[in-house]
Amino acid sequence: MFFKLRIVAAGCALACFIPSGVAVAQAPASPPAPPAPAFAASNLSAVGVRAMAATCAACHGTNGLSVGGAVPSLAGINREYFLNQIKAFREGKRDATIMQQLAKGYTEAEVAALGDYFSAQKR
Amino acid sequence: MKMQRRDFIKAAAGAGAVALGGCASVGGSHGPNVVIVGGGFGGATAAKYIKLWAPHINVTLVERNAEFISCPISNLVLGGTQTLKDMTVGYETLAKKYGINVIRGEASAVDAEKKVVRLASGDTLPFDRVILSPGVDFIYEDLPGLNNADAQARVLHAWKAGPQTVALRKQLVDMKDGGVVAISIPVAPYRCPPGPYERACQIASYLKQAKPKSKVIILDANPDVTSKPGLFKKAWADMYAGIVEYRGNSKVVDVDVKTMRAKLEVADDVQADVLNVLPPMKAGAIATPFITANKRWCEVNWLTYEAKNVPGVHLLGDALQIAPAMPKSGHMANAHGKACAAAVVALLAGEQPNSAPILTNTCYSFVSADKVVHVASVHKYDEKDKTMKAVPGAGGVSSASSELEGQYAMTWAKNIWADTLG
Repeated sequence: MFFKLRIVAAGCALACFIPSGVAVAQAPASPPAPPAPAFAASNLSAVGVRAMAATCAACHGTNGLSVGGAVPSLAGINREYFLNQIKAFREGKRDATIMQQLAKGYTEAEVAALGDYFSAQKR
Repeated sequence: MKMQRRDFIKAAAGAGAVALGGCASVGGSHGPNVVIVGGGFGGATAAKYIKLWAPHINVTLVERNAEFISCPISNLVLGGTQTLKDMTVGYETLAKKYGINVIRGEASAVDAEKKVVRLASGDTLPFDRVILSPGVDFIYEDLPGLNNADAQARVLHAWKAGPQTVALRKQLVDMKDGGVVAISIPVAPYRCPPGPYERACQIASYLKQAKPKSKVIILDANPDVTSKPGLFKKAWADMYAGIVEYRGNSKVVDVDVKTMRAKLEVADDVQADVLNVLPPMKAGAIATPFITANKRWCEVNWLTYEAKNVPGVHLLGDALQIAPAMPKSGHMANAHGKACAAAVVALLAGEQPNSAPILTNTCYSFVSADKVVHVASVHKYDEKDKTMKAVPGAGGVSSASSELEGQYAMTWAKNIWADTLG
């Protein structure tokens, strides 16, 4: 008898937590894709390009002068060659481990500015 | 005749270099003063690039260590294929080639109002702009059994390359065959997301050939491997089956140094012969007044790297509250250093900082003595959310580990050390 009462009480407690008059929740839709980032327009001024080129320096050396080994220098590179290689990386036409992934991070105008910058650096 | 002329030119050039160095190191005579605290990947890079882009600025770099020792590559010391000497670089070039005033010492406080950095020696360094790149400190208060010097000498972090790296290697060499090495990883974010998993590979690589009955247990406070999970798990399965055991959701909450037991939040203690505990981390002590996120990290304006709570004080590197998908890595600190240098040069010239900064990241991890995997990303400034965001569609990880990437990794290391200090 006592046991039965407890069950009833528990049932009541549960029911009391369900708010009355609320429709059964819809199954959640798949999470919406994050909104496209609102990236700032490229800074193609001289100091902007200089700062952009510095992002290449960690692997390719300060001002594009590699200390040697497996990563080539970019300083003094032929501009057309540079643009063609980046294009080939972006399109997956040149084999690479990492450059296919990094090349896609820069716009065409940024790549062109980097081509101007590195081709003008002293080797 | 010819020889004499050439000698004269050499001597003149030498005198010029000395005069330039002498002038720059006086500080404050001309040009504005920038003081940088911390000569790691972030601070040293900022110092060099300010001088590259604006030689008239007087740059003083305060660093507590005599030499730079690279954390990236240092797990190879544990694997036994490299020594610390292979990843040690001096500060002479920053001083001699760029005229940076390198001071070996301990900065104790920044007075943002009086615009001085106070050194433990009692000296003060006046600045127009200050850049703090202090790296991380460990929160030993969260691990009571490790919160004393004796315990910390026995249970090592080896998470700042240096004497602890060598000492941990010695513990591994001294361990018996059939021993257990336990590595504990704190809840992210922590310095170098893939580092602990690379370390497990390097230790396993050594044990596999020297002590094959031994085990490496990874106690990860995170639910899963936080970086390159597929690639690391494949390496453990393919190369270190029966040696590496990964346990997610295994937060270490205390350590009993006497019995060498790691105490877990929700599982039985783990007893080990070598315990390598990476404590929870926070911004280095000098940055404490600028901590604004989770009592651990410093938020910055991503266009100028100024502290959110105190403009005029710049911060960078591992001490920062990261933007989405931004790792606390040496490569990222190097990138911060350049972006911050550009902003400081612009601000001191009364110009607007770069409106569209770009950062890249590349982290290579050695899964064996010569096979390597990477993760890479490109980050740009989001004007609406005022933060850095990874460029969608760019970046990624290796398709598989390879020796070719091993060659790239070593060249990456040499180039980034030179880009930071050479």
